[in-house]
Amino acid sequence: MNSFFKEYFDHTVFWTALALIAVGLISIYSATFDTQAGRSFEHQLLWAAIGFVLMILTLATPLRIIQRSSYVAYFLSLSLLIVVLAIGRKVYGSTSWFGIGGFGIQPSEFVKVTTLLALASYLSRSDVSIGKATDVLKAFSIVLLPVALIMLQPDLGTSITFIAMALPVLYWAGVSQFLVVALLTPPLIAIAALVGTTTFIVVLAIVGITLYFLREDTFSASVIFGVNVVIGIFVQVMYEKLPLYQQKRISTFLNPNNDPLGAGYNVIQAKVAIGSGGLLGKGYLHGTQTQLNFIPKQWTDFIFCVPGEEFGFVGAIVILVLFAILLLHGLKLAHIVKNKFGSVVALGITALFAFHMFVNIGMSLGLMPVIGIPLPFLSYGGSSLCSYMIMVGILMNVYANRKEY
Amino acid sequence: MITEEFGSSRRKTILTIVLWLGFAVLVGRLYQLQYIYSAEYGKKSEENSIRKVVEEPIRGYVYDRKGELIVDNRPSYSVMLTPIDFDKKNLSFLSWILKMPEDAIREKIKRARQYNPFAPARIKRDIDFPTLSVLEEYKDKLPGVKIQTESKRYYTTPAHASHLLGYVKEISDYQLEKLGDYYQQGDVVGSIGIEAKYEKYLRGEKGFEFISQNAKGQIIGNFNNGKDDIPPKDGLDLHLAIDADVQALAESLMTNRRGAVVAIDPNNGGVIAMVSSPDYNLTDFSGVTSPETWKALNDDQNKPLFNRATLTRYPPGSTFKMILAIAALENHVIDENFRIVCHGSFKFGNRIFKDEHVHGSVNVVEAIQKSCNVFFYQLMLKVGLDPWADVGKEFGFGQLADIDILEENPGLLPTTDYFNRVYGKGKWTQGYLVSLGIGQGELGVTPLQMADYTAMLANKGHHYQPHIVDYIYNKWTHKSDTVAYKEDSIHVSEHTWDLVREGMRRAVMSPGGTGWEARIPGIEVAGKTGTAQNPHGKSHAWFIGFAPYDHPKIAICVLVENVGYGGSFAAPIAGLCMEKYLYGEIIRNQLPALRTTTALLHRESNGTPHVAAVQGSAHQ
Repeated sequence: MNSFFKEYFDHTVFWTALALIAVGLISIYSATFDTQAGRSFEHQLLWAAIGFVLMILTLATPLRIIQRSSYVAYFLSLSLLIVVLAIGRKVYGSTSWFGIGGFGIQPSEFVKVTTLLALASYLSRSDVSIGKATDVLKAFSIVLLPVALIMLQPDLGTSITFIAMALPVLYWAGVSQFLVVALLTPPLIAIAALVGTTTFIVVLAIVGITLYFLREDTFSASVIFGVNVVIGIFVQVMYEKLPLYQQKRISTFLNPNNDPLGAGYNVIQAKVAIGSGGLLGKGYLHGTQTQLNFIPKQWTDFIFCVPGEEFGFVGAIVILVLFAILLLHGLKLAHIVKNKFGSVVALGITALFAFHMFVNIGMSLGLMPVIGIPLPFLSYGGSSLCSYMIMVGILMNVYANRKEY
Repeated sequence: MITEEFGSSRRKTILTIVLWLGFAVLVGRLYQLQYIYSAEYGKKSEENSIRKVVEEPIRGYVYDRKGELIVDNRPSYSVMLTPIDFDKKNLSFLSWILKMPEDAIREKIKRARQYNPFAPARIKRDIDFPTLSVLEEYKDKLPGVKIQTESKRYYTTPAHASHLLGYVKEISDYQLEKLGDYYQQGDVVGSIGIEAKYEKYLRGEKGFEFISQNAKGQIIGNFNNGKDDIPPKDGLDLHLAIDADVQALAESLMTNRRGAVVAIDPNNGGVIAMVSSPDYNLTDFSGVTSPETWKALNDDQNKPLFNRATLTRYPPGSTFKMILAIAALENHVIDENFRIVCHGSFKFGNRIFKDEHVHGSVNVVEAIQKSCNVFFYQLMLKVGLDPWADVGKEFGFGQLADIDILEENPGLLPTTDYFNRVYGKGKWTQGYLVSLGIGQGELGVTPLQMADYTAMLANKGHHYQPHIVDYIYNKWTHKSDTVAYKEDSIHVSEHTWDLVREGMRRAVMSPGGTGWEARIPGIEVAGKTGTAQNPHGKSHAWFIGFAPYDHPKIAICVLVENVGYGGSFAAPIAGLCMEKYLYGEIIRNQLPALRTTTALLHRESNGTPHVAAVQGSAHQ
């Protein structure tokens, strides 16, 4: 029995995920126990229990069945997205919620999983060649469909996570580095051009150097470089032509500090909370920023401030270490897994975890724009917690089947 | 393209490096915040807690066409309460000072706490001076309670202009949900009229001040020396086409009357005056509106809150005859020589349609001048329903005039399709048409549509979208932003215009015309009276007209409900309003028999209104 567990049970993923959920629950309790969201802790505990059951169910389902039903799940979840657009609830400006009884369900969180499964299914087909441009395009459209629907809600942050998941997956599946650069640079250049001409030129130079070192044929490299130059100039010209209020909206997105009405205020307060935590923190339930509720809705997107303030640098590092174990293990798993589907899925889940974690903690530390995506396992929210637990179940499932082709 | 093997080791290494780099950045930043700057942030969090305080912008001002300020702002005081700082023991004391039930205050605190326990929330708006002084006195005994200076609307002219200006009201939960992120509980928002339509220009942009407080809630100063503060941006000013003097006169002439006056500048579509009577005092709506005021206005059987100028749907009576005349002339059903002999009534089938007089032999010009019903009964049967409705539609009937306030009714212009739909095919007869010929029956128009139609008659078919706001003065750019309005033309021959307009001129200027009471000294006026029968009491009096005849500067429609003849009740009001607009004052020596109580006919030299009640004769 023991050796069975050792062979088939992924202890690393299981225990790190549980540890992170525990840290999340502790933080949520601290942030909410004496506020109007006082029942958040109990709700999250209930969600964790539901998520645990979902995780076990996912682990128990044969991987082949998951693979086979991935397209069905994909289209089912997309139809949910359409339904939510039609009848959904509006929360914080976007229509992304279902109300069922007292609970809200956010289908886009689950679509992340189904999209990854569909993408992995497609990429692991024997007749699909990653070297063919049309196949890469098809793979990409699997991702762009839900992105388009989520943009309609509109929820920019969640849309970006899909792209952030797809690019590493395609890279992993063997798309040429040149193509990755070609796909990745235009949006980067567009953003850089919006920030300013200097940034634009610097990023353009980096793109140029990267293209040079990739040593692809000169013609393609020049085309990509040319396209980037044109996009950059086009974006800058268009920006100048926009009405003032739209310019303001864009600049606020790029630099939330300009907008103390919303995001900027949170960032100021989050930095004060984390910074004042110092080396060892102010002690559990003794964080003044947290307890005085200076960070609105802290228990969702700014949850990292709670351990940051109350447990200080040491507490923050513990969380980062837990994430590092999880992510490096995920990457290793993707590498050692024998079957293609499992490998792509493991890598995609790792990419999703990594992106959410870096962006979420980054925005609490004032390094990233505030785009409102949750911190995996820690942020309050039933749908996201359940979808992460399902992903943990899948990772464990892949681990158990890692030696099968 | 060269591709590498699926999941290659090289790529795993690269991804691992990316991960490590990401972690290194996070750890570095944590080290920076929590070690290097830890003392600084610690000080900020212990001593200084930052509060975000909203600074309200000043709502935009409103000016009339002469540049006179008509909507001003005056200071108003609101009681603000910060839930976290408020001691519940003081509830009954606060309730006594504010003369507000404890439960009401408790409910407000509960809602404010749900929104943000650290943000001050409005408990009572626009408190009176005695309350203000008591509060000031006990300020120290009521932690968490403070007074905030805000502004409220103040109306500077005697003109009420209630329905067109509209008022601001505390935002409702529904609006809060619908209008989005800018607003919060307790904000005010334009509710009707131009206050609602131009809300996003008038309101300005809120500012924010970041205040540092210590743990006891005492204010230390501005966070970061105020560098993060965002000053409020005041609302933009509206410049209206309204002439406040004409508006005030028209309102006074409509006192004790139900009805409406709409005057339009035919040269650009600017609304010179728009009155719906009875109206209400907008001052009752600035600050706090008492429930009693609301109830009284809502229960009033004369419906003062209802905008008669844009929402009523009455038959226009004889004022609609020009539509039929134009349809007949343009379709060559008749020409200027066509005559009908009027014996004072018209028999169709077994029904008899009456006329007021025996007009004898009349052509189209005389029929308009004398308002001969028999002529138009017969003409309607010759022209037919749809050609008539087509012309009506060209003049804007049966559709929204698209004025820049939100409350408007499209009215009803029946067509063959309409009758088929309502009565069924073949179940209605030509007899239904006869009354339409004189603007009676199933025809519904608003005074605004009528004024718009009159402006087109004045302008020989050139049409400008009617509008109240002329331009918006942008304080941020110091430029005037003109508002774009639609402009179009309908095609009617010059000859037809000449005949129809000549009929209208004679209706006012010639002996035997029904609208002679609209005359103005020294200026030629054209017009048409209407007396619309209705089943609920006396007829509605209508008058439409424009002046000067050759180069019209004003087109007007007057409707007085349930009084009698349009020539006797509506025409004199129209005449006085046009005179006031064209001369800037009333120049005639003898006032007409207004048959109603009037005021504000004259202005003293210093510009302040001189209220002179002039009693009319007929109703004494």
